[in-house]
Amino acid sequence: MSKNKVVIFGYGNHGKFIAKGLQNDGFDITIIESDKKFYKDAKADNFKKIFLIDVLKDDELKKVDFDVFEQLVCVMDDEHLNVFLTLSLRSLFKDSYILSISDSLNVTKKLKMAGADKVIDLYEVSANKIYNILDRPVATRLLEGFVGSQDGIVFKEMVIPEGSFLDGQMADDVDFSKYDILLVGMIDKEIGHSFFFVTTGIEHKLDSGDTIVCIGLKDKLEDFSEEIKKTESKI
Amino acid sequence: MRDKLLSLVLFLHRSPKYKTYKQFARNILFNEENVYKRYFDLTIIFLVISSVIILVYEVKYSVPQWLDNYDIYFVSFVFAIEYLLRLWVYNDLSEIIIAEYNDAKFLQKDFNIYSALKTGLSQKLKYVFTPSAIVDLLAILPAYRPLRILRVFILFRVFKLLRYTKSINQFIDVLVNKKFELLTLLFLLLFIVFTSGIAIYILEAEKNVNIDTLFDGIYWAVVTMATVGYGDIAPVTDIGRAISILIIISGIAMISFVTSVIVSAFSERLNELKDNRIIEQMNKSKSFLIVCGYGQLTKMFFRQNRRTIENYVIIDNDISRVEAAKKDGYTVMHDNASSFETLNRFDAKNCDIILLCMTASDVENIYITLNAKSISRKIKVIARVNDPLNLDKFNYAGADETLMPGKVANTMIYMAITQPTMYKAIHAILTGKSIANIDEIHVHHSHGIVDTQLKDLDFKSSKLLFIGIQRGNEFIFNPSSSEVIQPYDILLVMGRKISLEYFKSIHKGNISVKK
Repeated sequence: MSKNKVVIFGYGNHGKFIAKGLQNDGFDITIIESDKKFYKDAKADNFKKIFLIDVLKDDELKKVDFDVFEQLVCVMDDEHLNVFLTLSLRSLFKDSYILSISDSLNVTKKLKMAGADKVIDLYEVSANKIYNILDRPVATRLLEGFVGSQDGIVFKEMVIPEGSFLDGQMADDVDFSKYDILLVGMIDKEIGHSFFFVTTGIEHKLDSGDTIVCIGLKDKLEDFSEEIKKTESKI
Repeated sequence: MRDKLLSLVLFLHRSPKYKTYKQFARNILFNEENVYKRYFDLTIIFLVISSVIILVYEVKYSVPQWLDNYDIYFVSFVFAIEYLLRLWVYNDLSEIIIAEYNDAKFLQKDFNIYSALKTGLSQKLKYVFTPSAIVDLLAILPAYRPLRILRVFILFRVFKLLRYTKSINQFIDVLVNKKFELLTLLFLLLFIVFTSGIAIYILEAEKNVNIDTLFDGIYWAVVTMATVGYGDIAPVTDIGRAISILIIISGIAMISFVTSVIVSAFSERLNELKDNRIIEQMNKSKSFLIVCGYGQLTKMFFRQNRRTIENYVIIDNDISRVEAAKKDGYTVMHDNASSFETLNRFDAKNCDIILLCMTASDVENIYITLNAKSISRKIKVIARVNDPLNLDKFNYAGADETLMPGKVANTMIYMAITQPTMYKAIHAILTGKSIANIDEIHVHHSHGIVDTQLKDLDFKSSKLLFIGIQRGNEFIFNPSSSEVIQPYDILLVMGRKISLEYFKSIHKGNISVKK
């Protein structure tokens, strides 16, 4: 699946973290840098596919065959470069999924205009976190765990396979607590690509191909994702 | 006599009743939080105002006898009691004597009760000569009937009101700051007034019918100098007019000088006065937020529109950022948050303070954290950590929560790549979209749901997803349905905001009567 192929532009503060995380998760990553120092860093960290190219030049960008990649991640340390790069990538590769990082409201706007599919604002997410710490400290600590994917309680998304015992059941009728996990929400293919929380109060029918998101202990979630492959639940 | 005094003092020292009475008096006079102080203050204010109204009315009309008696005796009586109370609670005479007595016993030397008494009384005397005590005393004087002139002292009762206004203290404070300039000018003024007053007296007392005494001369000098010029006394000789010209010119110079000194003193202190107002307001509100630094993160924080933060103040030591914050309409102080004085002005003892260290420099943030913690451990500090290597230092400094903007953003990007569906879910939860709130239900000891089993709480029909219970330091994920809710549990649930509020409202009402 080509979804696992990711290009990361920039091996600075953010790029390093993301690249390492993705490598651990078995993604096929390519790193592109225009700064020699960061390029060396990436080499030292044992990444295989690293290119040192001038990202300001379209000719050089074209050399890399981006069609096989599904996600392009712009996380250069320089915000101007990020905006420019997003723009060049969008004009060169119309169908790619471009994700950019921004460090201010104005840059977010520019990146969106430049055609980034998703912009993550460095300070917005942090500002939200402060709110959460102030408003609901316990929940935040728990969420921290979800996001940080440490041991303990985490989120997991799984696709209901063909012939699973879940296929055709109403979401409300399935007792997830039996498996020591909770169903948080799902993407119902019949309705579209948007995500539904179970708490919205709409009845959902589970079908094969739907994506469900559950929370629970990591191993319980693993067990459950094995379980749903079966036609009948033994538990 | 000596022994009698000592035994009285010992009796007072040991009497708990005496102490409660004294504490009560103290509370009524000084403790802002005491409920009775308000009533006491209002009574005093009423007495003052009524007394002044009677005084003014009396000038042209006759007042009934009882009103006169009320004014002269009752009001004065209440004021006299107030005066004595203030004198009484100013220090503890008995405690001073006891302390000296114990010291003397310890050193095995003769105890002289009178010297101890003298120390205590001299302290009281010091109080008698403070401005507010003098005003209080003068406000009682009109009670002395035979001297009619004392009636005018009723006006001193108005000064008693000054105790209730803070602005006058600030005004005096400003003037005290410019003591040197103002005193110099005052001496110069006195010098000119006296010399010209004496001069006009010597030169014109013979020729001018209006100048009779030296006082007339000085009065004329002041009136002329102040550019008031009533005209009741005017020089008639050429040399007298020459003096007039001189003191009029110097008067204009002098007055503009005094005005400029006072104005500059105020403008210098204006920001400080404003800051004082802000701090006062904060301290009154009992729970507030101090945000240090007005950078990107702070701007973002205030732009979230998640809920209106009512009590907050931004502190920044960079004037351009302060101006920017002012322009954006935020409450802001130009001050250095890493200095002890700045943070110490907030009432950390009685208020719940949350401090956000959001400057772009780790050094600054650590310093502010330490500063806050050194003032009170009670201040909750949420610090921004820019370099992950400094995280440990923040923990040592005692930050309650730390936040790494880089790391938070990185995990979000990472998640957006690896698990796009979940990213949507988490993003919705983190930004508090109404469809998916994770919220906490704090169970108090008298809460209606204490002692109920989880299965009896129908989360599903309230359209809520029950996640778990935080009990002490332990988090119980998805507990069994027979789990019983205990006091001080925190229930973690997820759902739409309205569902949460509905759930909270139906379970709040029935406070259990079980014992």
